[in-house]
Amino acid sequence: MRYIESALGRLKLASCVTVASGTFGLEYFRLRDAAGEPLLPQESLGAYVSKTITYEPKAGNPSPRLCETECGLLNSIGLQNPGLKGFLQNDLPVLKETLHIPLIVSFSGSSTDEFCEMITAMEPYQEIAGFEVNVSCPNVEKEGIAFGADPEVIHKLVSRLAAITDKELIVKLSPNVTDIAQMALAAQEAGASSLALINTLWGMAIDWKTGKAMLSKKVGGYSGRGVKPVALALVYKAAQVAKIPILAMGGIHTWQDALEFIYAGASAVAVGTANFIDPGAPVKIAKGLHDYCKANDIHIRDLIAKVK
Amino acid sequence: MITRELLKVVDVSIPAPQYVKLKLDAGKPMENLLPGMFYELRAPSQAGRLFKPISILDVEDGCLSFLIKVVGAGTQAFTQVKAGDGVEALGPLGNGFPGIEGRRVLLVSGGAGYPPLAWLKRESHQAEFCLHLHGCASADEVFPCDLIYTADGSRGSKGLVTDSVESLIIEHKIDLVLSCGPIPMLAKMADICKQVEHYVSMEAYMACGIGVCHGCAIPVDQSYKLVCKDGPVFEANRIRWSEL
Repeated sequence: MRYIESALGRLKLASCVTVASGTFGLEYFRLRDAAGEPLLPQESLGAYVSKTITYEPKAGNPSPRLCETECGLLNSIGLQNPGLKGFLQNDLPVLKETLHIPLIVSFSGSSTDEFCEMITAMEPYQEIAGFEVNVSCPNVEKEGIAFGADPEVIHKLVSRLAAITDKELIVKLSPNVTDIAQMALAAQEAGASSLALINTLWGMAIDWKTGKAMLSKKVGGYSGRGVKPVALALVYKAAQVAKIPILAMGGIHTWQDALEFIYAGASAVAVGTANFIDPGAPVKIAKGLHDYCKANDIHIRDLIAKVK
Repeated sequence: MITRELLKVVDVSIPAPQYVKLKLDAGKPMENLLPGMFYELRAPSQAGRLFKPISILDVEDGCLSFLIKVVGAGTQAFTQVKAGDGVEALGPLGNGFPGIEGRRVLLVSGGAGYPPLAWLKRESHQAEFCLHLHGCASADEVFPCDLIYTADGSRGSKGLVTDSVESLIIEHKIDLVLSCGPIPMLAKMADICKQVEHYVSMEAYMACGIGVCHGCAIPVDQSYKLVCKDGPVFEANRIRWSEL
């Protein structure tokens, strides 16, 4: 995989392909192909990004929570998760035992103090290689985007988190903002070691026959193929101003998609919605990038932000 | 073991308008499968779209059969499949219905909820008593069962499949009810069968099928459970029906 080795801030990645928080679980490593071999060897991933946890457990939003649209997927999961304590007691030991790739824990809080308390509690665990600070979930009221739409709020939060952790500190940005560059700069100046973008776009689907919204919360987060051009533009804009590396996601289904994000300015990519459609997608993407780089005798890092 | 593979289509038929029956070669003996378990399937023309969760109708000689109701583009695409084609399959998934050995069982299906109960009915020799009721809109959707109910009265009894459940439970001393169908029907069943052991197989919008995305959650007990991983079969009285 040496052609596609990469890095985020302090974290070396054996593969520039990772998975997007909330779209991946250890379950995927247990799937088998027709020959009984693992469908998705974890070595093909540069890191494992866990589903966002919050301080208290969250039951999530009422159903229906999903709707597949013409060109992507709407979700309104609402950060269903076991909470910090449940994660540390039950999930983290299993992740530690199973993973031999870096673990990045995604988390979100409902106040700056809560974010700080969470990262302080997780900092001592050696099995956690980095954090993804989720300030961009569109489906919850108090956490998520409530923090990610104001550069001053991002700066204040990330400054405090950066003072606490020595691990990789990724700030995941929302596309639902007026100026992504401001958010990227705020996170960078506050001490983030890398950026992740994009989280889902606000989206909606309505059944014209009944007039009924397809999601219980009516508006949800839009991901998948349809968001790729938006994500590419935002990664490009962020990369124009930010010096820290970018972990890019937003409609990546093929290695060619991934390569486009590298050109736009990403140092690594994450596969999200595509996991649901093709559980083997991350492996194919990693292999495709590797073979392309090898055939052209180039390293993936030589292509970062080289859009012409 | 959950596998993701391309299964060869052995046979395709249209047993009723708006339904397609697929027989897929699993390529190996299929053991430990239970009625109620399902596969995530995708027709060849649907590359790039989500899988569709489809309940198993039958397992025989290394082949899996599915009876699929056409409700949208993803299911419509299965009607275009030809013998020899490959259908993408992820499974087997889900928990399945509890055993019926020695029980006095009432099986109740509505519309597309027919397959798991038809499979159970074929194994009804294990039960002390087994009666299968099926309800649907019209004679077009009738499949083999013991008692048929159609909304328009074009076949069997005119009315809903739930209409005589209460009296049949008493008449046949039923001690286990298993049902599958549209949510309003299942909610009605749950209301009628409060005093009897009753399991329902639920359907939900689904993405991953393996418990990762949390998209198919339904309200169970004091929280949400996942139809794909915790279900699709649940004890009826644990579901908060009013929230569905």
